[in-house]
Amino acid sequence: MATLLGAINASASALDAQRARMEVAVSNMANAESTRGPDGEPYRRREVVLQSTSTGGAFDNSVQANGVEVAAVVQDQSAFRRVYEPSHPDADADGFVSMPNVDVPEEMVDMLGAARAYQANLTAIGLIRDTLQKALDLAK
Amino acid sequence: MADIVTDAAITAALGRQMTRAVQRQAVAAGNLANLDTPGYRAKELQFSDALDSQLDGNVSLTATDPHHFGTAAGAPATAETVDAQGLAPRRDGNTVQLDRELLNMGQAALDFSAAQTVLAAKFQLVRYAINEGR
Repeated sequence: MATLLGAINASASALDAQRARMEVAVSNMANAESTRGPDGEPYRRREVVLQSTSTGGAFDNSVQANGVEVAAVVQDQSAFRRVYEPSHPDADADGFVSMPNVDVPEEMVDMLGAARAYQANLTAIGLIRDTLQKALDLAK
Repeated sequence: MADIVTDAAITAALGRQMTRAVQRQAVAAGNLANLDTPGYRAKELQFSDALDSQLDGNVSLTATDPHHFGTAAGAPATAETVDAQGLAPRRDGNTVQLDRELLNMGQAALDFSAAQTVLAAKFQLVRYAINEGR
């Protein structure tokens, strides 16, 4: 039984991680045109780093389901987009504005991937719950 | 007496099948959770070892000798996971395949369901006996 609960925990950790990924993608898209952040710099694209964990019980050496966690949210250090827009308040002396290094289609694809992974893990939780229910049915 | 031994053997065998199904499901859940973890290698149960440990001196469920009593339960189904071989890694080094893992989970769920149905019928018989046929 412990492994079934461990499996649900692993899937739940994945739901958490994929939701974080979705949030970061959404915030990237929301800030695709933000030329000014708290530090005065244009917004930098953020990215989630996923890392595998072990969520199985510490007291049994049986097969464990590996969960996943958000190890870090890192900033993309690639160059900003330069757009010629002399009338913009943040334009430099040459009339160029530094735009965030966010690529909207790329974020959309990332969101799709996160949504699919979320869906897959929800399906997994459903299947594990069915198995758990079957086991409980034995006591009827 | 022989009947009781057979009953215990069947129950133990069904229990092992259920344990194995649960293990398969747990491993598949772990793989699915790491669908997007860079460098993660898909895991699977080491099947041959698990089979060996279950067949070890225990191929048949029928007890033909009084000394066979107790062996029917068999060794506890210990299993280990290994990295699944023959899967093409994606660009980030991850080898998890969504369809493969969902299929594994579904199969394990069916396996568990089958064993549970038989076990429930078995228990019903035992309960019938306990209640003196009422």
